[in-house]
Amino acid sequence: MPMADNQGSFLNRISIRRNQVTTMENNHEQDLEDLDLFNKHVAERFSDLLPNDSSATTDSPAKDESPLFSISWYRRLLDVFLCCEAEFKALVLIDRDPVQFSKPPLDRLVPDILDRSIKSLDICNAVTHGLELVRHWQQLAQIAVTALEQRPMGDGQVRRAKKALNTLLTSMMLDDKENNYHAKVAERTWSFGRRSGAAGNNNNKDRTNGTFRSMSWSVAKSWSASKQIQAMASNLVAPRGGEPTGLALPIYAMGSSFVFVMWALVAAIPCQERTGLLTHFPMPRNLNWGQSLIALQDKVGEEWKKKEKKGTTGLLDELQKMEKVAQNLVDFAENFQFPAEEEKQEEVAGLVAEMAEICGKMEEGLVPLQQQIREVFHRIVRSRAEVLDVLDQVGRMSTPVPY
Amino acid sequence: MDPEKVTQTSDQTISNDDDKQQENSDPLPLKDETETNPSPTADEAKSAEAEIVEELPTEDGVIKTTGDDDGAKTDDIQQDGEEAKVEDPSPLPPDLGKVSEEIDQFISDSSNLKGDDHEFKPPDVPVFVEQFAVLVEAKIEDYEGGDAPIKWSQLPQEEATSFLDIVDRISKLLTSLSQFSSEYKYAYSISRVDGVLQRAMSYIEEEYKSILYEYKINPDSDINNSDTPSAKPNKEADNSSSSDTNQDAEQDSVPESKPPEENKFPGYSEEIVTTLNKFSKALIAGGYESECCQVYFFARRKALEESLHKLGFEKYSIDDVQKMNWDLLEGEVTGWIVAFRHCTNVLFSNESKLANAVFADQPSIADTIFSNLSRGMMMQLFNFAEAVSMTKRAAEKLFKFLDIYETLCDFLLLADKIFPASCADELKAEATLTRSRLGESMVSIFSELENSIQADSNKTPVPGGAVHPLTRYIMNYLKYVAEYRDTLEQVFKEHQMIERADSTTGSDFDCQNPQGAQNNHQTSSNKLSPFETHMIKVMDLLDANLEGKSRLYKDTSLSSIFMMNNGRYILQKIKGSPEINSLMGDQWYRKRSSDLRQYHKTYQRETWGKLLQCLNHEGLNVHGKVNKPILKERFKSFNALFDEIHKTQSGWVISDEQLQSELRVSISNMVIPAYRSFLGRFSQTFTPGRQTEKYVKFQPEEIETYIDELFDGNTTPWGKKKL
Repeated sequence: MPMADNQGSFLNRISIRRNQVTTMENNHEQDLEDLDLFNKHVAERFSDLLPNDSSATTDSPAKDESPLFSISWYRRLLDVFLCCEAEFKALVLIDRDPVQFSKPPLDRLVPDILDRSIKSLDICNAVTHGLELVRHWQQLAQIAVTALEQRPMGDGQVRRAKKALNTLLTSMMLDDKENNYHAKVAERTWSFGRRSGAAGNNNNKDRTNGTFRSMSWSVAKSWSASKQIQAMASNLVAPRGGEPTGLALPIYAMGSSFVFVMWALVAAIPCQERTGLLTHFPMPRNLNWGQSLIALQDKVGEEWKKKEKKGTTGLLDELQKMEKVAQNLVDFAENFQFPAEEEKQEEVAGLVAEMAEICGKMEEGLVPLQQQIREVFHRIVRSRAEVLDVLDQVGRMSTPVPY
Repeated sequence: MDPEKVTQTSDQTISNDDDKQQENSDPLPLKDETETNPSPTADEAKSAEAEIVEELPTEDGVIKTTGDDDGAKTDDIQQDGEEAKVEDPSPLPPDLGKVSEEIDQFISDSSNLKGDDHEFKPPDVPVFVEQFAVLVEAKIEDYEGGDAPIKWSQLPQEEATSFLDIVDRISKLLTSLSQFSSEYKYAYSISRVDGVLQRAMSYIEEEYKSILYEYKINPDSDINNSDTPSAKPNKEADNSSSSDTNQDAEQDSVPESKPPEENKFPGYSEEIVTTLNKFSKALIAGGYESECCQVYFFARRKALEESLHKLGFEKYSIDDVQKMNWDLLEGEVTGWIVAFRHCTNVLFSNESKLANAVFADQPSIADTIFSNLSRGMMMQLFNFAEAVSMTKRAAEKLFKFLDIYETLCDFLLLADKIFPASCADELKAEATLTRSRLGESMVSIFSELENSIQADSNKTPVPGGAVHPLTRYIMNYLKYVAEYRDTLEQVFKEHQMIERADSTTGSDFDCQNPQGAQNNHQTSSNKLSPFETHMIKVMDLLDANLEGKSRLYKDTSLSSIFMMNNGRYILQKIKGSPEINSLMGDQWYRKRSSDLRQYHKTYQRETWGKLLQCLNHEGLNVHGKVNKPILKERFKSFNALFDEIHKTQSGWVISDEQLQSELRVSISNMVIPAYRSFLGRFSQTFTPGRQTEKYVKFQPEEIETYIDELFDGNTTPWGKKKL
């Protein structure tokens, strides 16, 4: 893994340099240099994720294969996140006097970091569940692909494909509506105090489309992705002018990266309660990395607004395509007569091939993406524990024996 | 058959000259299609079908349709029926049984044909294929019955069995026909049979689904099984015996070979499971494996989630868990442990049994589905443990953490028996991670405890020199801690290993270090284990802290009493707990006991030594005569001192009865004989009556009584007795 190598060499460099430098002054200069470097890296890494202008040099072939919001693009996003996180940790924790953590601004900022970590973990979990659902959608799409690839193309296979695709589309729609749905049911129950009507309705839905319902019971019942994102974003505060140590700035940069990445994941992948998801949160225009993030944020925000209007499942490129192709295939299936007209059949073969390609990309990318999210999860837990260890060293004297 | 074989061979020779890449195509059909349709492979089937529309009506009555009734599903049967009538003189399609025989014959014939070569010339599709399709479709139409489909359970046994036979026959028929999918004249029949098969599959899928969702959840009985200690080893033994064979022989006979009560499936009767098995078989044979697996997966997932919920496992976000107060969370942890153990001991092995029974003929499907189901549930369970391990570290959490830790340890031992290999590995990795995080938290809790003992600087002395709450807290804490000795040994050892790994900075040194570490370990293994070291450290810190606290008392005697009280309490606790006792060792215990005796001596010297000086005979005899004024002084100061001691020290506390009586006895033994002899020697110096009464305030018996009133914690001395 090139990513891991990066991290290793970086850590080594930092610690070796720090070890060589002994005087406080030099240390301070070193610090400033490292801070600059970190900010620069964050900016570069995120701007790498922006779609290429056609004129720009193609430095990595991988870039072309990962269109914005595709599974592979999200995998790159998570790589960027992991790199930034590793560098951040090295910067903030290595060879630093723990006492700093009990003084401003860290004493105020660190609890925010910890809280953001916790909220991010829940989002990782919710997104993992969402990807589980996507994998089942992929299986449904695959049923349709297999059925429609059969020759001769007959009623049976077309009906079979239609059934699978209808289940797929209903599930996509339901998942999207679900978000509003719970809220509305809750609202109605609350204002009229009548449980029965809502519950009956619920049961009906359950009966017809029951298969996928249980999917959304992934985190706690009342958990809401959009609220968590909002909470994370709300304690992102730009450091004030005269902050005493430079650490406030990288913490701000990392915090913004956290919020952006989690937000982008929630926007892309079916996730519990996404209604009212922010379309925008404040980022500093005057900082390099701020600009990179703003550019990305605009893309996600725009796409999300479109999504809200159309009521599709999420920004994930493959999902959007899958939904469209599925719709077209259902239209075809509805008008299908045996034997198929040659022209129609060719047209459908094109759609089927497209669907097969989407399925292929999912087959290839979903599991690694899921594993990567798990890696992010574990990394966040790890880093949080390391911060706590430092806090322990500082806060040691103040915990009384609870007798 | 003979003529066909002839054609077949001739085909071969011809096709050898023909283009080879399309070997299963172009079987040189009898008629003029050769020109128009030279290679009806899948790609070009469209053109073949287009042709069919025009040409088929003239074919020999077998493939008879035109485009118009293909899409019109509702009319299908009727029209087909009519056309069948036209082509077949009999007014009604023949009896299903008879047609079925013909179909079976056809299937077996064509499977024989298939063996040799792809390129023989297939026979025309026989008329009974269409008849069969019509009959079966009518049957399914019956079952589907418009708005109210006939439930499977409503079908008579025979009917049900024969329906499954029929479905099996369609699947096989389709397979037979599909050998010739490139053959234009088969296209219609393939589509026709495929359409009927799809309807049959769809009906079965819906029934399969509705039966699967009619599970019953009865966790009560299951919980009883898992929680009675006697049932647990049984279960485990049982698991091992079944899963050892799982790997190769799988479940050919696993459910049947069990003792009768083990045959119970979660949520379904055995009869239902048999039906489910038949349905799975039918769906898979018909090529509807994906649908089958999805339906099964979602139904069982729902059932498992409900079971988990009924077991009392509530889903919380990690965020919620951090915010929950410990009292509440503690209860959730207890619930989690019950749910977790029930899952690993009962629920999953039953679930695996069910999957193996429903997919009896497809062990790999059973494994996959079971893995996916249980993986999802287990991840949820791990997630809760993880969330708990992340909560703010606090001493009182240690024991629940230990319980979770032990639960995970047990899981790691069981995992291979419960889950298929790859799934087990994944889950074990997760469990190990969660466990090590709990371990880290616990090590941190422990060192936090050490630090806070050291830092405890409460300046208020405990009244009466009684046992300090710190001592009580720590000793009771350690008593519980010691009960987890083995687990904590493991926790600290693992932590030590991580520490060592962390302390090696450069990766270059990684290869050399393990040896170094081992050496270290070997030399230190003769000494104390890390856990023992920590326990002793805690005890030493407690001692040091208590000594500091003892100095808060201005009275040295009271300091000694305080040290005796606390020391005694510690020893009693240790004696009462074989675990700590063996941990601390006899030597340590003996040292402590002698320390205690030292305090005892100090106390006696400090308090009673002074008093005994009043009874010193020295200086009283001047030239053989008793110096009366000095004697008076001695008695006065004795009386005053004893009064004072009694007054103060009956307010002191020794809660340990044995220590209290030991102390009183030793005081009596020290004071009373001396007083008695002093009295015997000097009391007659005073004139009886007032003078004696004035100076001899106490009779030895009274002294004894008053000594027995010491250390009662009685704040109003002389309560009942003082004059």
